[in-house]
Amino acid sequence: MIKQFIFAFIATLTFGILFNIKGEKLFYSALGGGISYLFYYVLLSMGYSAISSTFFVSILIGTYGEVMARVIKTPVTIFIISAIIPLVPGGGLYYTMYYTISENYNQALKYGMDTFQIAIVIVISILLVGTISKFVNKLKSKLI
Amino acid sequence: MSNISYLAVEAGKIILENGGETYRVEETINLICRSYKIKNADSYVTPTGIMFSAEDEYGNNLSIIKRIKHRRINLEKVAMVNELSRKVQEKVLSSEEFENELAKISSSKSYSNLAFILSSSLAAFSFTLLFQGNIYDALVSLLIGAMLRINMIFSSDYDVNDFFINVIGGIITSLTALIFCSQFNTLSLDKIMIGSIMPLVPGVALINSIRDTIEGDLVSGLARALEATLVALAIAVGTGIVIKLWAFIFGGIV
Repeated sequence: MIKQFIFAFIATLTFGILFNIKGEKLFYSALGGGISYLFYYVLLSMGYSAISSTFFVSILIGTYGEVMARVIKTPVTIFIISAIIPLVPGGGLYYTMYYTISENYNQALKYGMDTFQIAIVIVISILLVGTISKFVNKLKSKLI
Repeated sequence: MSNISYLAVEAGKIILENGGETYRVEETINLICRSYKIKNADSYVTPTGIMFSAEDEYGNNLSIIKRIKHRRINLEKVAMVNELSRKVQEKVLSSEEFENELAKISSSKSYSNLAFILSSSLAAFSFTLLFQGNIYDALVSLLIGAMLRINMIFSSDYDVNDFFINVIGGIITSLTALIFCSQFNTLSLDKIMIGSIMPLVPGVALINSIRDTIEGDLVSGLARALEATLVALAIAVGTGIVIKLWAFIFGGIV
């Protein structure tokens, strides 16, 4: 489990460098990636499906991003973009392609649907967190 | 005053060129114009261009169009412009000061190519380990990750389009992985491939597409979603071609 955290941390850290993030922002975005993949791993080993684990973890990432953006005063995307990368269904994409060219269309369709669903789940959960945070912001400005 | 308008659009251009969301560009331009009390300022931004119009001090119409041709990812610059627009909101800078700050941002250094190559290969390395590959798989990914970045740096010097860069990326990945796997049978092809295509993943386009959609910027949301899908397709095409050809030449299902 520690291993998963470290690999995810390094992976997001290097992604942060590829996206030209610097300083403490780089560290915190990598930390977000590490923590989120750790949760993903734990949820998977508890028997949740890849899709529902992705959903919960994306919500976690979105919330982490919104909170950190207010703490460090920097755009939310910096934290979300690199932290979400380990969840991106690269494996699903690969197997879809692989089974398509080996003309095993049943498997290709299965992996294709899985990949598509995971992508949609990531989109929806980030959308959800973004909408809620906008709502909270509006609520705060109305109350004060 | 018209000077400030130009600077505001320039600030927007920096955000858009370096991987910021479209709505952030509109917001930044409008915010800067509001801080400097420019009348009737409004902007319309898509991922490929900025349209801006305002009224100058004599009541004449002023319009600026900026076409964005090259987009890179440099989130540090996005954060810096964001900070600058926050600063302007609190305390109005003179237009020279503002110009200097912008110049400082746009000339700020990104990481060196060597750092990019190293981190791309490390990313592929750690993703392969993360997806349950063994250490030998990861070492092959380390090599592929570096090659992918070198390809990207080299190709963008020659203005090759993004779709083709990713197709070549896919080709490099699968060709290298296949060559190594045919020599050493302790390696697993799928682990290497999955880990090493990760540095190509269009994370920025994906997240920006979502965030633009939330803000009601549907045109940009769709455009970015298309960008992300195209990258995924390009990777699949590149890897697919090579695997198919390999099976055709050397026989057997790989």
